[in-house]
Amino acid sequence: MLIYLPIAEISVNMFVIFGMGAAVGFLSGLFGVGGGFLLTPLLIFSGIPPVVSVATVASQIVASSASAALSYWRRRMIDMKLATILMLSGIVGTLIGVVVFNMLRSLGQLDLIVSIAYVTLLGAIGVLMLNEAVRAILNARAGRPATLRRPGQHSWIHGLPLKMRFKRSKLYVSAIPVVGLGIAIGFLGALLGIGGGFILVPALIYLLRVPTNLVIGTSLVQIVATMSVATVLHSTTNQSVDIVLAIILMVGGVIGAQFGARVGQNIRGDQLRALLALLVLGVAIRFLASLVATPAERFSLTLLSGGAL
Amino acid sequence: MRLRVILAALLALAAVGTAQAEKMTVAISTPEIQINSNFTGTNVTIFGVIERDAGTIARNAPYEVATLVLGPPETVVARRKDRFLGIWLNGASETIVSPPIFYSLATTPGLGAPQLAAPAFRNLELGFENIAFTYADRLETNDPGASEFREAFLRLKGESNLYAENLGGVSFIGDSVFRATVRIPANVPVGRYRVLVYLFAGEALLAQSEESIKVSKIGFEQYMFEAAHSRAALYGLGCVALALFTGWIAGVVFRRD
Repeated sequence: MLIYLPIAEISVNMFVIFGMGAAVGFLSGLFGVGGGFLLTPLLIFSGIPPVVSVATVASQIVASSASAALSYWRRRMIDMKLATILMLSGIVGTLIGVVVFNMLRSLGQLDLIVSIAYVTLLGAIGVLMLNEAVRAILNARAGRPATLRRPGQHSWIHGLPLKMRFKRSKLYVSAIPVVGLGIAIGFLGALLGIGGGFILVPALIYLLRVPTNLVIGTSLVQIVATMSVATVLHSTTNQSVDIVLAIILMVGGVIGAQFGARVGQNIRGDQLRALLALLVLGVAIRFLASLVATPAERFSLTLLSGGAL
Repeated sequence: MRLRVILAALLALAAVGTAQAEKMTVAISTPEIQINSNFTGTNVTIFGVIERDAGTIARNAPYEVATLVLGPPETVVARRKDRFLGIWLNGASETIVSPPIFYSLATTPGLGAPQLAAPAFRNLELGFENIAFTYADRLETNDPGASEFREAFLRLKGESNLYAENLGGVSFIGDSVFRATVRIPANVPVGRYRVLVYLFAGEALLAQSEESIKVSKIGFEQYMFEAAHSRAALYGLGCVALALFTGWIAGVVFRRD
């Protein structure tokens, strides 16, 4: 069934878009990630203008993350003080991200920067994750216990000034890395149409040593806030949030996520992480190919007033 | 009183003048195209009647008709990807000033590509080859230096069905009634479209007429498009509220704990 998207100004097959939302929702439920890094590229590769894809996925991430954040809230698995600081700095990062986004767009280099960012970011994270997961799998096979990090272990990050106490996480760390992390995630989210959970979660665990049971809920709160701000900013500055596209993606996403979460409970953690790493690397390779391969069409047209053709 | 006499005389003269040439009456099947949620494009039929009277001189060439549907002008940046350090990125570009966003030409079979090369048709911009492109950074119209971008523009517009050339698409029903069908694709931009109809004998322009088609979004689509542009902040907040609501509903529906 074809449905007309009022902002993208194209007709799309509703079931194809719904299917994409559901499939990405399934994977995000399975792996416990937001799925923006999969959904935005999928939309771009299926012909939705990149501007509309990035802006609309921001609102879809709000829906999927809000639903998950609520359930963590009920179970009191959120460090609100940490989340508030991440949130405020994330909003600053989002502001910068939207400004850069619109600047790149008028220069005609948005697609390029988005592609390069996806290749480097997803490539690096995919390799790190795969490395860690394969090691864990090999260790489990050989019967060795997983290498546990002692809570007392400190890195250079813990030597920074401006220390703050986070009671819920039992942490006493400098505010600098927390604020820096928040800004970086907000910036990347607005620029690339990703929630950033797959960066924020490992960063909170490995860099700040936030207890694992609080990490996901806390990062979800930050993602809901920054993506809400990103949605409003994209709406006001480039009018590219397509509400019809967003609704289809949201409904598909939340339904898919429920099934994904159920399947995910039956798969071992290290295998799940290895699969996610392969998926992340796959998207990175797809973007790399689009950058390196000789394009079938070297020319493109853009309306000066804004929208893509 | 004197003025009225002069006016009447002028009108009488004008009437004598037109009696020599053909008169053309044109009608459009759908002067208003409304885009709603299941819009998948539509066809517009242009009808025309050529009226002759006893005073009309005999023509030794057959009638030829060209119909041209033009969208509103919209400045476009055409970019070319170039290879730089192994990756393809947008390099050279040309800004094409105000080409019509939509261009659909139909002609009678007698007006094919070879005939359209004549200056009479070039001046009316009938046919892709005859469209006058002006570039922001070049003085000359259709500057040969930008021909690569001109061709790319026409090719890409053609691929998205926004530019079409249907030579032979106008058919005569009898001697004096003609008909042309213009395809309006699903991705048609909104605005006021000009419908130009020209009647020729050989290369001589006998009559012309201009009608218009209004393409607009209606209902929900119209409302959302307007809201997104004129009340952008409110629209954005609405999207966020909708997302939070969807998330909350999903949490309630699928609650397991």
